[in-house]
Amino acid sequence: MATERAGTWLPEAGKLELGSCCGPRMLSPERLALTDYEYLAQRHVLTYMEDAVCQLLENKEDISQYGIARFFTEYFNSVCQGTHILFREFSFIQATPHNRASFLRAFWRCFRTVGKNGDLLTMKEYHCLLQLLCPDFPLELTQKAARIVLMDDAMDCLMSFSDFLFAFQIQFYYSEFLESVAAIYQDLLSGKNPNTVIVPTSSSGQHRQRPALGEASMLEGVEASLFYQCLENLCDRHKYSCPPPALVKEVLSNVQRLTFYGFLVALSKHHGINQALGALPDKGDLMHDPAMDEELERL
Amino acid sequence: MKTTTSSLSAFGDSSIQTPSKSRIRQGCHSAGPNVSGDHINLVSSSMPSFPILQRSSEEKILYSDRLTLERQKLTVCPIIDGEEHLRLLNFQHNFITRIQNISNLQRLIFLDLYDNQIEEISGLSTLRSLRVLLLGKNRIKKISNLENLKSLDVLDLHGNQISKIENVSHLCDLRVLNLARNLLSHVDNLNGLDSLTELNLRHNQITFVRDVDNLPCLQRLFLSFNNISTFESVCCLADSTSLSDITFDGNPIAQESWYKHTILQNMMQLRQLDMKRITEEERRMASVIAKKEEEKKRESQKQSLLKEKKRLTINNVARKWDLQQHRVTSIAANQDRKDSDSPSQDPCQVDGSTISAFPEETGSLDSALSNALQGLSVTDTHLVEVDGDTLSLYGSGALESLDRNWSVQTAGMVTTVSFTFIEFDEIVQVLPKLKIKFPNSLHLKFKETNLVMLQQFNALAQLRRIDQLTIDPQGNPVVSFTLWKYYVLFRLSHFSMQKINGTEVTQNDMIMAERLFGILAHVASSELPQYRLISILGDARKKQFRYLLETKGKKPGVVSEENNDSKRLVGENTNRATLNYTTRDFYNEKLEEIKEKKKFCKMYIEDLVKEATEINMKNEALQKLWPQMFIELVRDAVIEIRNKSSYMKLCLQQITDQK
Repeated sequence: MATERAGTWLPEAGKLELGSCCGPRMLSPERLALTDYEYLAQRHVLTYMEDAVCQLLENKEDISQYGIARFFTEYFNSVCQGTHILFREFSFIQATPHNRASFLRAFWRCFRTVGKNGDLLTMKEYHCLLQLLCPDFPLELTQKAARIVLMDDAMDCLMSFSDFLFAFQIQFYYSEFLESVAAIYQDLLSGKNPNTVIVPTSSSGQHRQRPALGEASMLEGVEASLFYQCLENLCDRHKYSCPPPALVKEVLSNVQRLTFYGFLVALSKHHGINQALGALPDKGDLMHDPAMDEELERL
Repeated sequence: MKTTTSSLSAFGDSSIQTPSKSRIRQGCHSAGPNVSGDHINLVSSSMPSFPILQRSSEEKILYSDRLTLERQKLTVCPIIDGEEHLRLLNFQHNFITRIQNISNLQRLIFLDLYDNQIEEISGLSTLRSLRVLLLGKNRIKKISNLENLKSLDVLDLHGNQISKIENVSHLCDLRVLNLARNLLSHVDNLNGLDSLTELNLRHNQITFVRDVDNLPCLQRLFLSFNNISTFESVCCLADSTSLSDITFDGNPIAQESWYKHTILQNMMQLRQLDMKRITEEERRMASVIAKKEEEKKRESQKQSLLKEKKRLTINNVARKWDLQQHRVTSIAANQDRKDSDSPSQDPCQVDGSTISAFPEETGSLDSALSNALQGLSVTDTHLVEVDGDTLSLYGSGALESLDRNWSVQTAGMVTTVSFTFIEFDEIVQVLPKLKIKFPNSLHLKFKETNLVMLQQFNALAQLRRIDQLTIDPQGNPVVSFTLWKYYVLFRLSHFSMQKINGTEVTQNDMIMAERLFGILAHVASSELPQYRLISILGDARKKQFRYLLETKGKKPGVVSEENNDSKRLVGENTNRATLNYTTRDFYNEKLEEIKEKKKFCKMYIEDLVKEATEINMKNEALQKLWPQMFIELVRDAVIEIRNKSSYMKLCLQQITDQK
C-alpha cells in the first residue's frame, strides 16, 4: 500500500526538496526547479486528469449522448464542490489531500444527524457508515482512528460522533505523517538518535508502540520539546501533507511530556488544525449545517 | 363325598355321596381314643399320636373303595388299616397339618384334602395310581414331592400360598391344573405338561405369562383378576394354536381401549373371551382397527425417519458452515491476533452454539428406525424444504433449487422464505430468481448468513415487496449495530414494511429512519454528477430518473401527485436508488478491470503532458527570443529598403521568379 501511495503522490521522488503544498510562492526557486511534469503531479492536476479520462472511458456510451465538454465541466465542478469522491473506490479517495478533505466533509454532512441524535456507536458501526460512502474503505484506518479516541484501550467501547469524526480526520488526512511520527516516537522512547533519516514502512510503526510503554522508564512518554524538534525536521522534509508546524508547536508547548496517543488526541481536538484543514466546522458547530437544511427545506 | 370341581364328573363317579356321610357326622367326635361311632372306630393305637381307623366289615364291603372322613375334626391323618383296596379318600374340612399314614393305600386314585391346614405336600410318593389330588384351601407354600404321581390327571392347589410353578414338568397326563388364589407373580416353567387342557390362574398377581405355547393341548386359560397390563406380557398366547377360551377380566389390560381388538387380532383361534362367545362381527371390527393402527404406526415411523434425516442434514450443513467461518479449529490456526480484533473471529473456541440451536430430538427411536437410519447418507450438504407457506433453504447448495420447476400452486403459496447457513453475498445473486419464481414471498428470514454491513441491505431493494424481515442475531453481526433497523427502514422505505424481527414498525421508527439517513439519500441523488447517476443506476432507469430529477424543483404540493405516479412506475424511492450493494467479489473484479484502463489513461495523459510541456517550452523559448527576432526582422527590412532603386529591382525580380 505504501509504495502505491508513493506512486500516486509523486513519481520521481529524488528531485523534490521541499514538500509544502500550501502558500502561493509562484516564482520561488524551488517551484521553478521542478520539471513541468513534476509540478503538475505535485499539484495533483494529473490525478484528476487521469481520473477524468478513466471515467470517460468507463461510461463512454452514456457520456457520448450529452457531450464530452459537458462531462468535463461536470467532473471538475464536482471536484470543486467535493462531491467527486462519493461512492468511489478507496484508492481514489485517498489519492489527494483535497479528496481526503472532501470525503471527510461528505461523511460529516451525511451523518451529522446520527451525531445529533446522540447515538453512541461502536467502531464497527462507524466503519459501516464509512462503507456506505466508500464500499472498500479499509477497516485498519477506522481501527486506528478508534484507537485515538479510546486511547488504545477497550476497542469495543462506544464513541460519540464528534470524538470519532475528529480523530478520524487526523488519522485519515495525515496518515503518512502519523506513521512517521509513530516511528519517531518509538525511537525517542528507546533513546535512539531521532535525527537520522526515517523511512516509514507500511504499518510497523503503529504496532511497535503498543507494548513498549510497559518497559519504559517511570516517566511516561517522551519529552515534549525534543519531540517537537524531531517533528519540525519531519515537517520540513516530508513530502506528504503535515499539520502546520506552528500549530504543532502550540500543541506541544502546553505539556512537559506526552505519550503518542496523548499527542494524537491533542491534535484531533485542536481547533486551529481543524480550521487549517478546512474540511469540518468547529466542534461547537458540528451539528449544524444551515446550507444542507436550506436545501432540504426547498424539497 | 362332595364333588369339589365339576370336572370330576369326567371321572365317571358322579354322585359319590354315600349314606355313610351322615353316619360319620353323627359319629363325629374328637379323634381321641376309644371313639365308638356306629361303624367307624377310631381307637388309640400303640403309637401315641395317631388314631387308628376301623370300619365295620359291612361298610368295608359296601364301600370297599371309598372312605369319607370329612369334618371329623381330625388334626392328623389316622392310620388306616386293612383298606388296601381303597380308591377314594376324602379328608375335606379337617385340621390336618401333614399328609401321613396313607402310603399303604397304593391303589388310591382320588385323594381329597380340601380345606385343611397342610403346609407341605409330602407323603404321596407311594401313590403311583393317584389321578385326582385336591389340595385346595390349605397352606401350601411350594409345589414339591409330586415326582411319582405320573398318572395325575387333576391337580387342585387353589387357595394356597404358592408363589412359583415348579416340579410339575413330569406330569404329562395332567389335564386340569388349578392354581387360583395363590401368590403367583408370573407364569413360566410350563414345559412337559403335554396333556394340560385347563389352567386356572385366577386371583393371583401375575404380570406376565410365558411358555404357554409349549402346552400343546391347552384349551382354557383363566387369568382373571391378575396384574396383566400389556399384550406383550402375554404375547406367547398368540403362538398357542390350541387355546380357545381365555379370560382377562379384572386385569388392567381389560380397561384399555385397545384391549378387545388387540386380543382378537392376535389370537385368531379364540372362541370365547371373558366367558363370552366371540362373534364374526367382533372379529371383523378387530381386524379393521388393527390394520388402521398398523398404518398409523407406519406413517409415524416414516415421519420420524424423515424428521431425523432432516435433522442430520441440518447438522451437517451447520458443521460445514462453522468450518467455513473458521469457527472450529480442526487445525492449530495461529491467526494473527491483530486481525482478530472482532469478537466473532475467535479461533480457539468451538462455537457450539450453532449446533445447539438445533437440539437433538431425543425421542427414543425404535430399533427398526435406527436400523433404517444406518442407510441414510449424511453427506447431504444442503436442504430445501417447503412446508405450506414457508420455503426453507439450508446451505449454499440449496440456492440451486430455485432453478427447479416449481408448480405454480406450490410457488404461489410460499409467503416466507428462510435462508440459513448461506453467505448473504450468494443470496444476493439469486434474488432476481426469487422475485420471479416466488412472487408472493413477503417475509424474508436470515440466520447465519454473514450479514456484516448495512450496505448489504441495499441489495434487498430490488425485490418486488417485503412485508416482514427477520434477521436472526446468530451469525449476523449486523444486528449488533444500533442503527441497523433504521437503515433498513430508510433504504427499503418503498416497501412500507410492517415488522422487523417480530416487532411492529411504528410511525416514529419511520420518521427516525428518515431523519437519520435522509441526508444520505439527498446527497446520493442530487450531488452526484449526472453521468455518475446514470452509470450507477444502469440503462433501465435512466429515463425515469432524468424525468424525476427534472420535476424535483417544483413545490411539494404539486410534486406529490406526479411523484406518486412515477413512484409507482419506478417502484422505488429513487433518491436512494443509487445506494447499491455489489458483493465484494464483483467489486474487486470491477476494480481489476479498471486497472487496465487506468494504466492507459495514465500513459495517455503523460503523452498529453509531454506534448503540452513541449509546446510550453517552445512558447517560452519563443517569448524569450521574440524581441531579438523582431529587432532582426525590422533591421533586415530597414536595410533592404535603404536603397530604393535596388529594392525595387529586387522586388520585381522576386515577382518574375514567382512565375
